[in-house]
Amino acid sequence: MNEMYLGQAAFAFYSLIALAGGVLAVSAASLVRAMLGLVVSLFGVAGLYLLLLADFVALMQILIYVGAVTVLIFFAIMLTRASADGGEAQGPGLRGNLRGVFGALLPAGILVPCLAVYGVAGFPTPKNVSPAELGAGLLGPYTMAFELISVVLLAAMAGAVLLAFEKRGAAK
Amino acid sequence: MNPLVFYQTVALLLLGLGLYALVARRTLVGMLIGVELMLNGAGLSIVAAAQLTSADAVLGQLGALLVMGLAAAEATLVLAIVLVVSKRFGDASADAPSELKG
Repeated sequence: MNEMYLGQAAFAFYSLIALAGGVLAVSAASLVRAMLGLVVSLFGVAGLYLLLLADFVALMQILIYVGAVTVLIFFAIMLTRASADGGEAQGPGLRGNLRGVFGALLPAGILVPCLAVYGVAGFPTPKNVSPAELGAGLLGPYTMAFELISVVLLAAMAGAVLLAFEKRGAAK
Repeated sequence: MNPLVFYQTVALLLLGLGLYALVARRTLVGMLIGVELMLNGAGLSIVAAAQLTSADAVLGQLGALLVMGLAAAEATLVLAIVLVVSKRFGDASADAPSELKG
């Protein structure tokens, strides 16, 4: 019984971290602070993955998102050489806020009734899958997806180089 | 109540926060942060659905890993696009490249 309460407390803790970080990422006036909020939110979601017994996914979350994607966003903030606030100082304004709240509530209005009507009764405890089984899945039934994601990453890399590359002599 | 609903609710809230940022932010980088939040919610939803129901758990976890890979690819491309926009228009706000030439 005690362990159940412990699990619920951990869930509340991690989801609070994830959502508070998300709120900071959405509302901070400075883009660097927004990025820090995103990092906090990513860590919270990684904790939720751990709670779901998906430890490999949690590690990958920290490695890929916190390690790589955040650095890319930081590069984007720094390389655009905007003012210190990154152009977000004046905030979205009343109309922007209204549009944002409407846009955020629209999918909730569709998905919450779906969840209420078609929600599946889940197990109380998650299944445990070892990384070895994940590897076997990647080399077995899901090889195609594995190969395709590598092609997508290669195309994205080549595309990024192509877009950001400046021809010699083109810069004035 | 069953725990799956709680996880899906957190994922839904992340989706809502991300959509809010996507709509309300003025700069491209702020919008990118919103997209990352949404993708995180998607990954959480996939993993929770796979781990807490009788669905294939391997498929769910690999799906979340694929979402992460796509997010990394998308962030790379958006970085390049933001660089080009800021080079060409002087700032990286979403309104800067909104005028058609003609």
